[in-house]
Amino acid sequence: MKLIATASQTVGPFFSIGLAHLHQDSTKTNSADAQTITGIVVDGDGQPIPDCVLEFWTASSFARVPTSVNGKYSVNVESGTAMCEVLLFMRGLLRPVYTRVYLSEAAKARDEVTSKLVPRDRAGTLIAQSGSAAKQLVWNVNMRGDDETVFFDY
Amino acid sequence: MTAPIEGREARKKTQPPYLFPGYVSTQKRAPLKPLILLPENSSSLFRPVFGHDSVHPTDADLTRQHAGEPLGERIIVSGKVVDDDGHPVRGALIELWQANAAGRYHHHLDTHAAPLDPNFTGCGRLLTDAQGVYSFVSIKPGAYPWRNHENAWRPAHIHFSLFGAGILSRLVTQMYFPGDPLFARDPIFKSIPDEAARTRLVSTFDWQTTKPEFALGYRFDIVLRGPKSTPMETDHP
Repeated sequence: MKLIATASQTVGPFFSIGLAHLHQDSTKTNSADAQTITGIVVDGDGQPIPDCVLEFWTASSFARVPTSVNGKYSVNVESGTAMCEVLLFMRGLLRPVYTRVYLSEAAKARDEVTSKLVPRDRAGTLIAQSGSAAKQLVWNVNMRGDDETVFFDY
Repeated sequence: MTAPIEGREARKKTQPPYLFPGYVSTQKRAPLKPLILLPENSSSLFRPVFGHDSVHPTDADLTRQHAGEPLGERIIVSGKVVDDDGHPVRGALIELWQANAAGRYHHHLDTHAAPLDPNFTGCGRLLTDAQGVYSFVSIKPGAYPWRNHENAWRPAHIHFSLFGAGILSRLVTQMYFPGDPLFARDPIFKSIPDEAARTRLVSTFDWQTTKPEFALGYRFDIVLRGPKSTPMETDHP
């Protein structure tokens, strides 16, 4: 018989007091080995969410970045990364949402688990798109509504 | 005999939902579409190891981070972090943040008309020891108003962020104080359906860790979900 895990509660609007020490150092951007993912996080009205913190997990790395006043984030991940698991925390989320970003269409197609489970018409929400510069990708997160990002239960 | 309800079904009672209309911000931020269930073994078991360069002894004493001492009721909060098999979670990073004794956060967006305390930032960090035990010193945070509903006040709380065995063990929660009259009107606290699960977020006064002439002790134990905590669910229990 398992113990019951402690209940989650929202990070609230002032999480940076406690969490900023692990915010990825933006002065270390664009090293030769890094790929940059940028994007915007929006709510059910399409409005930017300025008080969100995202965590990008891979099999060997962790990066935490907050959104700015215009709802935008930017994160560097190791070059060659195929997929990141992503947790988003914010005021208005009593527990984090869990999603994934694939760094290419091919990486998504190779992942049998997700390919089988995610409806074809929503799968695009999990794939980062090429940006304006080399090694620049764009991945937006839509919390709620018609174009809602796929979120996973686990 | 009824089999105990475990896994995802149990979590619907012991964890808050995304949409909880009484907490107004959920109405525009909670996902609307059904979540897609992933097999648990498809998630990362990677456990980030933090602390060797980012946690210092003063980080576990929120009253010693400035030239003077903060105002307020000094407290010692301690507890044990275990996984859902009851095994201690060793070396786990705990991140803390909280309002000051007047109910004001050291944050530029907090506009509550209560004083800032020049001797209190409200930021802490520490690692659990070999038994999964942690302890830190702080001051009791004040309640504060928010604009969620008419005359809305948050019960006093300390924010906790924890890392366990992998991404499934990640937890952000809030520790409350016993006997707070604001519980009954707080939608964030009340969002957890199961009363026992709610109650476990309330620390207990602890005579054992109360230090004479110094500080009141509170105990707050934490259970992190393990990397493979969900039994295979079946339609035929």
